[in-house]
Order: sequence, then C-alpha cells, then structure tokens
Amino acid sequence: MTEPAAPMPPAPPPAGGYMPPSGPSGPRANFGQRLVAAIVDAIIVTAVTWILLLVLAGIGDEGGAIVGYLLAIVFGVAYFAYLEGGPTGQTLGKKVMSIRVIDANTGGPIGYGRGVGRYFARWISSIPCLLGYFWMLWDREKQTWHDKICSCVVVPTDAYPVQ
Amino acid sequence: MTVAGATAAALRAPLEADGRDLRIAGGLMLGAGLLLPLLPEGAGLPCPLRTLTGVPCPLCGMTTSVTETLRLDLAEALAANPAGVAAVVAAVAVLAIRPARVRMSASLAYVTLAAMWLFELNRFGFV
Repeated sequence: MTEPAAPMPPAPPPAGGYMPPSGPSGPRANFGQRLVAAIVDAIIVTAVTWILLLVLAGIGDEGGAIVGYLLAIVFGVAYFAYLEGGPTGQTLGKKVMSIRVIDANTGGPIGYGRGVGRYFARWISSIPCLLGYFWMLWDREKQTWHDKICSCVVVPTDAYPVQ
Repeated sequence: MTVAGATAAALRAPLEADGRDLRIAGGLMLGAGLLLPLLPEGAGLPCPLRTLTGVPCPLCGMTTSVTETLRLDLAEALAANPAGVAAVVAAVAVLAIRPARVRMSASLAYVTLAAMWLFELNRFGFV
C-alpha cells in the first residue's frame, strides 16, 4: 500500500480575496472518532490519577495529597506528550479509534516538545466551555484550537499509516 | 497577502461542516439535554472561564438553554442563552434532513458568537 503524500497547505485564494469552501487538504479524523478517543484517554488518565491519589493520600498527611496531585499532572503531561509526540502519534484512545496526530505541514511526528505544548494547549481549548474542541466541527482542516496552536492535524491511520 | 487581507478573506469564506459530524454532535447535545434533568442537581460541567475568572464565555448558559428548550420552557431557555433554542432547532433539522455538508457564512457565525458573548456579559452584569 502506498502512503499518501503529506497534507499540503491550502492553496492560495484566487484573485479578489474570495476563498470558496473546500474540504480539508487530506483525510481527517471525524468528530466521533476524536470524541471516543478522548473519552478512552480520559478514563485511563483519571484511573491512574485516582490510584496515585489514593496511594499517596492514604499516607495520611496533606503533603501526600499535594504530591499526588502533582504526580497526576506529571502523568497527564507524560502520557500525552510521550504518546502523541512519539513516532506513532497515538495515545491508547487514538489507537483504539485508528487515528493519529501528525504535523500539519510535513505529515511526520510532532515531536515530544510539541506534544507537551499540545497538552497545555488543550487547556486553552477547554476554557470557553470547550469551544476550542467544538471548533473542529466547522473548521476547514477539522482542527481544534490545540491542533492549530501546535500546527498539527488528526488523521485516520488507514490514510496515513504508522511507519 | 497582508494580515488584514487574509482576515477579510477568511471572514468571507463560508464555513463548511460535515453532516455526519454535526449529526453526532447534535445527537449528543439532545441526548445530554434530555438526560441532565434526570441527574442530581449540579451534574453539568461548570464553565472553566467563569470558574477561574468570574467572566462568562459565549457558551455559558447553553446547558440550561438546551435543557429548558427540550422541556418546552422557552422563556427560561431564552433568558439563559438564546442560542440554545437555535441549537436545538438546528440539531433536530440536521438529524431529520441528514445533509452531507452544511455551509454557513463565517461573518454571520463570528457575529453570532460575539452577540452570544455580549448577551452573557450583560446577563452577569459586566456590560
């Protein structure tokens, strides 16, 4: 199977500035796939967080709970940054739904640094009642705000297979 | 193209949504709107912006508006956020008509979003 070319940047608009509507510059993960993947990831991260909190808060002092919260944040960052920034671009949820994160310009992995950035950019997407997540519904490239901030897209693996 | 030119072009270009994505989102919204009143008080998600800063976002009041619209209490729905009534109508239409794609004016969408925000800022006494 031949891998399709990396997604190309949108063509420049014709003279006059008007840009007619068109589909994304390549196949994109749909809303349902991304929603289910997010739910699976949320369950995993929440479960591990609760285990960390129970173990550390069970020690009995406030310090244990604070360390538990910090470890939970560190786990969240590590989970998303390592898995989305790695060569596959897939968290466990994305793997279940056969979708992955790739660089919007090169089609390659986004790298661990941008993986960390994408994790924190999610907070920006969440702040106005998740508006940044819903943005993909009408965005031409089906990008959320955190996709745009980190210049990446989420694609189906049947069109963009993992190397 | 200048930044101003690119912004103007982006505002003129219609937004286009995939019909299947809208059906999923609309179905979930209607399902949540029917389910939430059956759950204990305060089961909905609080707005992070309002929780952190006290300032409402454009989508504040949408949960109340959608649930009240589905209970046919339009006065309560409109008081919370008029866009909730429109969202319910749009969701029902998308589920009934099943369009392949839906196009809308970007300018109109952004103006609507700004109007929603102004409405909520006014509701919470900021303007």
